[in-house]
Amino acid sequence: MPEPLLKVESLHAGYGEVRVLWGVDIDIEAGEIACIVGSNGAGKTTLLRALSGLVAVSSGKLLFDGVELAGLPADQILARGIAHVPEGRRLFRGMSVRDNLLLGAYLRSDKVEIHRDLDYVFSIFPILKERQHQDATTLSGGEQQMCAVARGIMSRPRLLMIDELSLGLAPRMVERLGEALIEVNKIGLAILIVEQDVMTAFELARRGFVIETGVVRMRGNTQMLAKDPMIRQAYLGL
Amino acid sequence: MLYVQMLVNGIMLGALYACLAIGFSLVWGVLNVINMLHGSLLVLGGYLTYTAWHDYGVHPLIALFAVAFALFLLGYAIQRILINRVVDMPVLVTMTLTFALDLILYNFMIVYFTATPVRVTLNLGVIDAGGIFVPVDRLAGMVLALLLTGLLYVVLRRSRIGRAIVAVRMDRSAAMLMGIRVEHIYAITFGIGALMAGATGAVFAMVYPMTTDLDFTFLGKAFIVCIIGGLGSVQGALVGGLVLGLVESIAGQFLGPQYALTAGFALMLVLLVAMPTGLTGVKGFE
Ligand SMILES: Nc1ncnc2c1ncn2[C@@H]1O[C@H](COP(=O)(O)OP(=O)(O)OP(=O)(O)O)[C@@H](O)[C@H]1O
Ligand SMILES: [Mg+2]
Repeated sequence: MPEPLLKVESLHAGYGEVRVLWGVDIDIEAGEIACIVGSNGAGKTTLLRALSGLVAVSSGKLLFDGVELAGLPADQILARGIAHVPEGRRLFRGMSVRDNLLLGAYLRSDKVEIHRDLDYVFSIFPILKERQHQDATTLSGGEQQMCAVARGIMSRPRLLMIDELSLGLAPRMVERLGEALIEVNKIGLAILIVEQDVMTAFELARRGFVIETGVVRMRGNTQMLAKDPMIRQAYLGL
Repeated sequence: MLYVQMLVNGIMLGALYACLAIGFSLVWGVLNVINMLHGSLLVLGGYLTYTAWHDYGVHPLIALFAVAFALFLLGYAIQRILINRVVDMPVLVTMTLTFALDLILYNFMIVYFTATPVRVTLNLGVIDAGGIFVPVDRLAGMVLALLLTGLLYVVLRRSRIGRAIVAVRMDRSAAMLMGIRVEHIYAITFGIGALMAGATGAVFAMVYPMTTDLDFTFLGKAFIVCIIGGLGSVQGALVGGLVLGLVESIAGQFLGPQYALTAGFALMLVLLVAMPTGLTGVKGFE
């Protein structure tokens, strides 16, 4: 079996004195779509923030492509290829859609390629092209999520992590975003989705991790997980 | 005719005030630091330009750009080495720190610079437009101030670094996810503030006599402009600067020049009492 793209081993992290993650183990393979599910406060967002360097890792390993990333600042982690689309979109107010997208490519200096990628995200999300000169925060919720995802793609990552893809969006919009992600995934981008909506996550992802109180409780093929009685009861409400 | 002259004087002065305040407003808006050093940086810029011109025969325009660049480096270093360490603390802490730096710089300047007023005399003459008198050096000063202001606007809106500055102001952790190094952008921002102060100081030295003890007058004007125009935008500083210039020009005409300054401060007081949210109500630097 080939080395996974991302290998996280007994990761501990938190906020100051408050420990949130208690030894998380996950691995993401190159080019796959994986998901993390778990109840409120389980530590999903904290895990993503630790992976992208916003939250300090207190111990554990974080190997990306065989290179240790734990302790590196956020810009160096992004430069190595992990992009993080944060919970709540967090688009920059007062800036156009286009400027928001260009900020996604902040670390890059290959102007020609940046414009090619801009055309690429416009082809996936045509509405963004139409609205490119509009203040990004005046878009609808779904359009904002598209913009946030596109902004993440603009850094040309190898792993795109998306926190709460579907939060507050109509089912049709979630479907639309899912299709776009599958399309992006086809060109080789690995995607890690964090979701409240377990059903959506399982439909999109091949493998899943269930996090509870800062540790991975269950893992595996999403089709298998969907059949698990505990998961059916706790997360699918069946 | 008197009114037109007043208007012309006010606008010429106002452009300088806008340029004077813009760096102060940028630093306040983006870093949430009230830079007490701003006035002294203006004086420093003025004196350095004067010295380069008077002692070394450098053309004042070239001196202006050299001084602006030097002050950018100074500002960058001050933020990177000192202010970044306490930038997240309450605004009073950074205000006190910059106040201490101001005292140091001021004392340095009264030791090294002469106490007599200095001025880069350009001898460009006066335009007489049908009874309206426009000294050419002041006109040039206004044009320079507007150019500098416009340049900053374009940099903030159109450049990669400008986008990063605005992004950091809007949402620091989202900016970090874009790979923006916040401490670097803070230092760049403070550097730009110092650059604008230095360049404005150079322009002032070409138009009015400069003395070391003008530092607090300049700082006070920066405050007034921010309060009139609202904190956090180039347009706001432009409006604030022009209003202050006109108020001073009108007050100077009708009440006497000695009241021009007081009129500006009185306006600030009225605005603060009438709309105390004016300073915090606006977010972001556009
Ligand atoms: N900035 C912070 N400072 C201190 N504690 C925090 C902070 N952010 C989150 N926490 C705590 O960490 C724990 C995990 O939060 P986290 O946001 O990672 O959960 P989550 O799984 O993403 O939840 P949700 O599904 O609601 O988004 C919670 O108990 C929360 O209170
Ligand atoms: Mg969360």
